[in-house]
Amino acid sequence: MSATARRILLADADAFYVAIARLIDPEGAGKSPLLIVGGSRESRGVVCSASYETRKFGVRSAMPTAQALKLCPQAMCVPVPRGACSRKSAEIRRVLQRFTPVVEGASIDEWYLDMGGTEQLYEHEPLERTAHRMRDAVRAETQLSVSIGGGTNKLVAKMAVEVAKPKPDNNATGVHIVAPGDEATFLKRFLLAEIPMVGPKFVVRLERAGLRTVNDVLEHQLPELIRWFGDREGQWLYDRVRGIDSGVVEGHGEQKSMSREETFSTDVADDTTLERELFALVARVASDLRTELLSARTIRVKIKDADFKIRQAGRTLTEAVVSDRVIYGVARELLHELRKRRRTPARLIGVALSGLATNPEPPQLALFADATASLETERDRAVARTVDSVRRKFGQDAIGAAQLSKHEDEQ
Amino acid sequence: MRFTIAREKLQEGLSAVAASVPAKTTLPVLANLLVETTDRGIRLSGTDLDMAVSTELMADVDVQGAITIPAKKLVEIVRELPSAPVKVSASGEQKITLECSRSKFKLLGLPKDEFPSFPSIRFGESWRIRSGDLQKLISHTAFASSTEESRPILNGVLWELRPDQMRMVATNGHRLAKMEIPINATEVPSSDLIIPPKALEQIRRLFPAEEELEVARGDNHLGFRSPFTAVYTRLIEGPYPNYEQVIPKDNDRIALADRNALIQALKRMSVIASDQTHRIRMSFNSGMLKFSVQTPDLGEAQDELPINFEGDSLDIGFNASYLLEILRNLPTDEVRLTFKAPERAATIEPVGWDDTAKYLCLIMPLRLVD
Repeated sequence: MSATARRILLADADAFYVAIARLIDPEGAGKSPLLIVGGSRESRGVVCSASYETRKFGVRSAMPTAQALKLCPQAMCVPVPRGACSRKSAEIRRVLQRFTPVVEGASIDEWYLDMGGTEQLYEHEPLERTAHRMRDAVRAETQLSVSIGGGTNKLVAKMAVEVAKPKPDNNATGVHIVAPGDEATFLKRFLLAEIPMVGPKFVVRLERAGLRTVNDVLEHQLPELIRWFGDREGQWLYDRVRGIDSGVVEGHGEQKSMSREETFSTDVADDTTLERELFALVARVASDLRTELLSARTIRVKIKDADFKIRQAGRTLTEAVVSDRVIYGVARELLHELRKRRRTPARLIGVALSGLATNPEPPQLALFADATASLETERDRAVARTVDSVRRKFGQDAIGAAQLSKHEDEQ
Repeated sequence: MRFTIAREKLQEGLSAVAASVPAKTTLPVLANLLVETTDRGIRLSGTDLDMAVSTELMADVDVQGAITIPAKKLVEIVRELPSAPVKVSASGEQKITLECSRSKFKLLGLPKDEFPSFPSIRFGESWRIRSGDLQKLISHTAFASSTEESRPILNGVLWELRPDQMRMVATNGHRLAKMEIPINATEVPSSDLIIPPKALEQIRRLFPAEEELEVARGDNHLGFRSPFTAVYTRLIEGPYPNYEQVIPKDNDRIALADRNALIQALKRMSVIASDQTHRIRMSFNSGMLKFSVQTPDLGEAQDELPINFEGDSLDIGFNASYLLEILRNLPTDEVRLTFKAPERAATIEPVGWDDTAKYLCLIMPLRLVD
């Protein structure tokens, strides 16, 4: 590899949900080695995350919680600490952003970092050293631990982080960097099923061709792979097993959308309840939006009906907005549209914001004085700013809309 | 049902009604056209429930009847047919045969009873309007209506009818177009109607300028018809915003510019303007208009245009697309722009228009951030 090799890291928070559940409840969850986060014995929720100790019993993420508790009846089960999770996620991101401006959130607990151009800044220290300093900074400032994988591209970084993660049965250090040129050798140890984007269906097709491991594929030339899997997938597989991936780390401001959704413990048929759930989601996603100093032009509402049919409605506004009031106003109309078209109980509701802009564009002035043209007034933005600053000072739950407080009491 | 019609005649009729067929619909019959035999030939009708269009065509009818035919497929077939008589027959309500020269098609229709009935319009109380006058009003105003769903009333065009004049106004809350034409029609009931622009577009397109149209109201609908063609539309309810109030009376900075040169300069600036706001800056000074645009992550551009300007110099921001749309619709080579201040409404109007109509457009600026 040449001197221009890319320097990509993936920071992945270790047992993110479990760690946060323990952090916010040191006396309960904090003292229970057998811990399941997400769902409850009675509900239809699924396991969001489970401690390493429960995994020995066969508990896995995305498994119905009721089933998990049958496998491991003595486990403690706590709900997902959503507010704390997004707060902590933002905290980690802020620490990472001190090391490089190009940070892409791949999920709530994974961030790709492009360290390209930071060589001088860190006086040409090995990438491994930088990664360890990053890891120490995250732990010191957020009480959470991240593992970091690195290499010349996102694929290698992603595979490396699996090797980096300290687990009870290995002696990993939390950082694993694959040197430029070593990608193909490094990947030889993996099963094809472990490569991102290789799903169960593809695994079946690969097995039909007698391919199970990365090594199996390396024995075949490109024309053969193309004959078996077609131009696109053949080429893709050929590149992947050699650790070739040209995916770019999409830095801050490139974020395409933000969303929040809620799966109900029992299906909801009643519009008022749906509206209230939507309102709560909007309050959360709008707060996320403002935390990232973004504004949004497009609002989408998603419903998953009881029969798993997913329906969506969206609207793009003339201007980018940030306030709960305006976003909820639009989201509520979209919800009504969806409910008018098909009125069956819903098992999930979600709201997504896109058309994100970093700094709110200067407003188009309106002809009519009433709230026609300018959707969001200065007052809306002031209310949002005030709520945000109260939350920063006194915590996420310190202030909220009155119409949600009844909801909180019921829980 | 059985009839024979010239292929060109059929295609002409289809192009008239096809625009009223919705591209997507949850009600399958709306994707079909209603075909009925009449005394003179056949009538084709289509609707998207907001609007309906129906047109009568000369044809030789052998057997009376009515059916509905999938519109898209019928249009595609007729487009490809050779120039020869087309024979259409239906056995029962759903099996349709179409023959032309040596080509033969069989299509499945839907029962005609499923087709929605047209809104009842009181053509007994109709009044008459010259189609050309309507065309002029529509083509100069409808573009300014809103396409946002947030305020349905602005999705319509206001048609103010008075015995001595009629006026159309459209706005999206940021820009406005208004035109009035003197008429002499004592039978016209004074009324303010808010009409979806989609129907107006059909009215503008389907009736020849010299035709006198019959216009009449239903409870919540409006109908326009000529001897062969009719357009029905839903009306939008509600009070239209008070637009008279926002028309500036004291704008004292006045620019006269060549419309074409202004359009060319704005088009050049638009290349660099933000895709979302289309924001450009215009600096008016005596004798010269300077344009500038700066878009983060893209670049910047400047331009100049000699103009005639009276009043204190002015820096003002606009959405270039809004300006261009207005300028493209102005009927004269020279245009007048008036201003009061950087955050007040500007007006744009034709200069030296030799016409009885009066035309005025308004545009609100974009706030400039330095």
